[in-house]
Amino acid sequence: MEENKSFDWSTDLKEVPVREWEDRFTWVEEPYVSPDGETIASIVNVEEGVFTVCENGETWDKEYDKAWNLRPLPDGKFAACVSSDEEWTLSISGNEWENWFDFIWNLQVNQDGSSLSLAVQKDMEYGMAVNDKPWDQMYENINEMVLSDTGSSAAVVQVTSMVQADIEVFKNGIFSCAVNGKAIDKKFLNIWDISFDSAGKNVAYGVRLDRTKYSIAVNDTAWDKQFQSVWKPLFISGDESVIAPVKEGGKWMLYKDGQPFWNKRYNQIWHLVVSQKTGNIAAIASDKFGKWTIAENDVTWNMAADQMISDLVYSKDGSTLVAVLKDKGFWTLAVNQKKWNLGADKVFTPCVSSDGNIVSVVIERQGQYFLVVNNIVIPNGYDFMATPVISPDNTKILQKAVKDGVYQRLILSMDKIL
Amino acid sequence: MSNDMEIKDKPSVVKEKNTDEAVEAGLAKLTPERIKNTINQVLQKETGPRFKAYVETCMHCGLCAEACLYFLSNDRDPSYSPAGKVKQTIWEMLDKKGEVSIEFLRRAVHIAHTECNVCKRCSMYCPFGIDIAYLMLMVRRICHKLEITPLYIQDTVNSHSATMNQMWVKEDEWIDTLQWQEEDAREEFEDLRIPLDKEGADIMYSVIAPEPKFQAGLLYQAATIMHAAGISWTMPSSPGWDNSNMAMFTGDNEISGRIARAFYETAARLKVKKIVMGECGHAFRSTYDVGNRWIGWAMPPFEVVHALEFYHELLTSGRITIAEKFKKTVTLHDPCNVSRGRGLHDMAREVTNMLCESFIDMTPNREHNFCCGAGGGVINCGPPYKGERMINNKFKAEQLKATGAEVLIAPCHNCHSGLEDIVHHYDLNMEVKFLGDIIYETMEKKIYKPGD
Amino acid sequence: MNAFIDFIMGPMVWIAFLIFILGLIFKLVIIIKDVNDRESYIYSYLTLKHSLRSIFAWLIPFFPQSTKQSPVFYSISYIFHLLLFIVPIFLMSHIVLVNEAFQVSWVALDDGLADILTLVVIIALVFFAIRRYTVPEVKYLTSYKDYILILIIALPFITGFLAYHQFFLYKAMVIAHVISGEIMLILIPFSRFSHMIVAPLTRAYMGSEFGNVRHAKDW
Ligand code: HEM
Ligand code: SF4
Ligand code: SF4
Ligand code: SF4
Repeated sequence: MEENKSFDWSTDLKEVPVREWEDRFTWVEEPYVSPDGETIASIVNVEEGVFTVCENGETWDKEYDKAWNLRPLPDGKFAACVSSDEEWTLSISGNEWENWFDFIWNLQVNQDGSSLSLAVQKDMEYGMAVNDKPWDQMYENINEMVLSDTGSSAAVVQVTSMVQADIEVFKNGIFSCAVNGKAIDKKFLNIWDISFDSAGKNVAYGVRLDRTKYSIAVNDTAWDKQFQSVWKPLFISGDESVIAPVKEGGKWMLYKDGQPFWNKRYNQIWHLVVSQKTGNIAAIASDKFGKWTIAENDVTWNMAADQMISDLVYSKDGSTLVAVLKDKGFWTLAVNQKKWNLGADKVFTPCVSSDGNIVSVVIERQGQYFLVVNNIVIPNGYDFMATPVISPDNTKILQKAVKDGVYQRLILSMDKIL
Repeated sequence: MSNDMEIKDKPSVVKEKNTDEAVEAGLAKLTPERIKNTINQVLQKETGPRFKAYVETCMHCGLCAEACLYFLSNDRDPSYSPAGKVKQTIWEMLDKKGEVSIEFLRRAVHIAHTECNVCKRCSMYCPFGIDIAYLMLMVRRICHKLEITPLYIQDTVNSHSATMNQMWVKEDEWIDTLQWQEEDAREEFEDLRIPLDKEGADIMYSVIAPEPKFQAGLLYQAATIMHAAGISWTMPSSPGWDNSNMAMFTGDNEISGRIARAFYETAARLKVKKIVMGECGHAFRSTYDVGNRWIGWAMPPFEVVHALEFYHELLTSGRITIAEKFKKTVTLHDPCNVSRGRGLHDMAREVTNMLCESFIDMTPNREHNFCCGAGGGVINCGPPYKGERMINNKFKAEQLKATGAEVLIAPCHNCHSGLEDIVHHYDLNMEVKFLGDIIYETMEKKIYKPGD
Repeated sequence: MNAFIDFIMGPMVWIAFLIFILGLIFKLVIIIKDVNDRESYIYSYLTLKHSLRSIFAWLIPFFPQSTKQSPVFYSISYIFHLLLFIVPIFLMSHIVLVNEAFQVSWVALDDGLADILTLVVIIALVFFAIRRYTVPEVKYLTSYKDYILILIIALPFITGFLAYHQFFLYKAMVIAHVISGEIMLILIPFSRFSHMIVAPLTRAYMGSEFGNVRHAKDW
């Protein structure tokens, strides 16, 4: 979150009126806000079949036949999938890529925004394109696209043709994992959940070897051991090792490099996260049927959610582990084993300060958005709110919200809240 | 049923037990060792006291027979009775400790996959409440592990495993179809949208893969209804949009769970309040009752609302108003997965009455309605078994005919397709419709404003 | 030989009762343990309310659809099950024996009535047997074991009936009656007659799945 330093933390309030957009355009789609909160943007329909994007009241220079998938980029610009004359490309605040395709989707942006990837289709061939550069090799189909922080791309591609309902061909394996466009020379019945190592060089993924045998593969080699099922693997220890939840004897366990790693057997474990700082490993887990908790280094939290745990993040220093969960019909958060007492209809992506001392999140209750900081709900309800940002020194919070047709970029002082 | 209602079998269809190339190829590869180990593994390791109680308690009283569409349609042939099907499969597997023949397995696949809809009607007729459908699914699980699952349904499971949808719909095809329907629907409502990936919408709308593949018009209708009702909704552009789950019907529980996970995690990613699904029975069952359980969600993590219930909400809250009621006489087929499976049958009648002028009920109805003969993955076993399916539905055809209705409402995709086959085969001269079709036809095409 | 007969007529009766009761308890404990170990998910769905709702619905004569569709069978089965308990429990000669042993007693059936009711039980069992042979869907499920089960219940009633009327071999009949009664008792927990305790459990589970999850009736 170093880039937060450059944000304007001193101007208390900046406003952009957005209601008037509705008079200017036939319709205005849902808003997106740049990370620094300086810009709010929406796809807008200018007239029948004419779309563009409106950023802080200014439209892009270009108009398109279609536009969708608007997303803010780390540098404050916006990207959207746009189409003219039945061809598609990515437009970044009005500047299109040079390459146009028959279809594009699945925009991914790496952490620092230096790489943007898309899944692309041209002449019924499929691949990915990263920063306007399509893969050299295209395939019959593509799924499970991923972009690494280093800008490497990978996906599951179909490397063997299959006519309709040919289960014999399917049985022999028709899928490979392609990294930067090059298919690894190893086919599997199924491939799911590709993970890159931090260097963006090696990949690990879940595979199905035949109808009932599952394993984890690293690059072109599957673990010797086979399982009843597997979930997404993860590289740990400076990319040395791969861990993955696997099912064996009807229970789930954590394996490392083909060997048992954690001892406990769970009803479920998935969604592994690792703290780069401490090396601690956590996962969403279930000990008892229908009850969800977090397992950290094979020890379960003294906390249970009866419906779902949807998200899990470590603070940068690894001191704080935050889970988004649903219990007894309401969404809430749990921070280091402790469930917050607020209950919401929706909980959005939490923002955790680097030292883990502050957790802030947007929630929705009965149609109104509220900002929550460390379990304290700030009483003002808004019509819309984007993910907040915590200042590098933990003294301020950047709130991005829309109320009564006006977008407000508000700097809140932490001591007033807490 | 009186004589003039009686329906004759069409002599053109010869009743023979069919098989298909996938079943045969699978059988050809089996060894006695593998058969025995697989059966014993499933029956001993993957079952528990429930299974034991079902096989040890059954008094062989035959009372469940009366419940089964297959038994009734086949002139009460006992080999089609629920317990009769267990006898031909599970009992013998247990008796022989798994050492069964290829011939036996060929018959077992056929029974479990094409002669039982896993509709659970028989559980309401067995005085002990024995769950025959569960036992039949156990047989399917064994078939799955032996790789002798019928061809077409296996292909749908293959598709699920690779694409997370049932019909090999490619990711761009899905989005493109939605955008195309959205554009078409703008002829009616100029600012209509099918909002993709709209984080924080109240409702995620989900459908089964046949909609984008073959019945895109249904997406159009749904979008029109959502738009007119002023709903905050979204559809995912990513896999996880398909709520169907054929793996649950082949006993491929691992893939079934994976599908359910993708589905609910998509809803979680979009931060919606609840999920509304199109008119599909088995998809409801899979998300509400089956797929979720296999991966550890005792109950669905999100409220899942079947279209039928959603329409009820829209109509009673006045979000959708009906311009003029539907004129033709209608009858209603209760899809077992949402009536017997979720108790929505009374709501279905209320919705039908709100939409239609003249409604004639079927008998039996509500929880006791007969299955369409297509569900439970039966229709998905495909063309090789269609002739048999028609005969196995004779009783259903009689039930339909007795209503004398012009239009048959079937708020379930499988039922819809299955019933269309029946109507055609038995010349019933009925039009099969979804509730959504009728709403679309009869609703006022205006946008709801609160306080109107 | 006499010692053996004394044993059969004396201690064995109590042993049989003990096996019957402990056997059923044992069966129940095993089931609960198995559920805990292997299928604890069941508890996520089981509710007392829906269990009882289903069990009671199925106890009301001609309430469940199934009973309406097979009225003759269910009537006979209903009467049979009632009499299966009523006749032996309220039989004068049984009460006398209990009284001798424990000095407790309760109202008894009139002997003549008990005699007729015994006959009703026997007729019901004959009906079950004939039904097994003649109704195709039942015949299809029936093996010799099912007839043996019917015979096992029939024997105590038949021998009791014959002994009471003292048609022939009175002493032998009484012995046969006691032995067959003991066999029946002992076998209940270890045969399909254990449905006596399993039935409420399977009903409770199905009742809960229907009532609690499916929001539908299961009768
Ligand atoms: C209180 C406990 C019991 C309950 C709730 C019960 C319930 C049932 C039910 C629901 C059935 C299935 C169909 C029917 O006949 O209605 C049945 C059948 C039967 N039960 Fe019971 N039962 C009990 C005790 C017993 C006992 C102790 C015996 C014998 C020792 C017994 C012997 C039978 C027989 C022979 C049948 C099968 C009839 C046939 O052949 O079709 N029951 N019971
Ligand atoms: S589940 Fe349905 S189709 Fe299967 S045996 Fe029972 S009543 Fe028949
Ligand atoms: S009704 Fe129940 S007990 Fe009787 S044969 Fe059927 S499954 Fe068995
Ligand atoms: S297709 Fe419809 S009627 Fe048939 S099993 Fe499914 S829900 Fe039941």
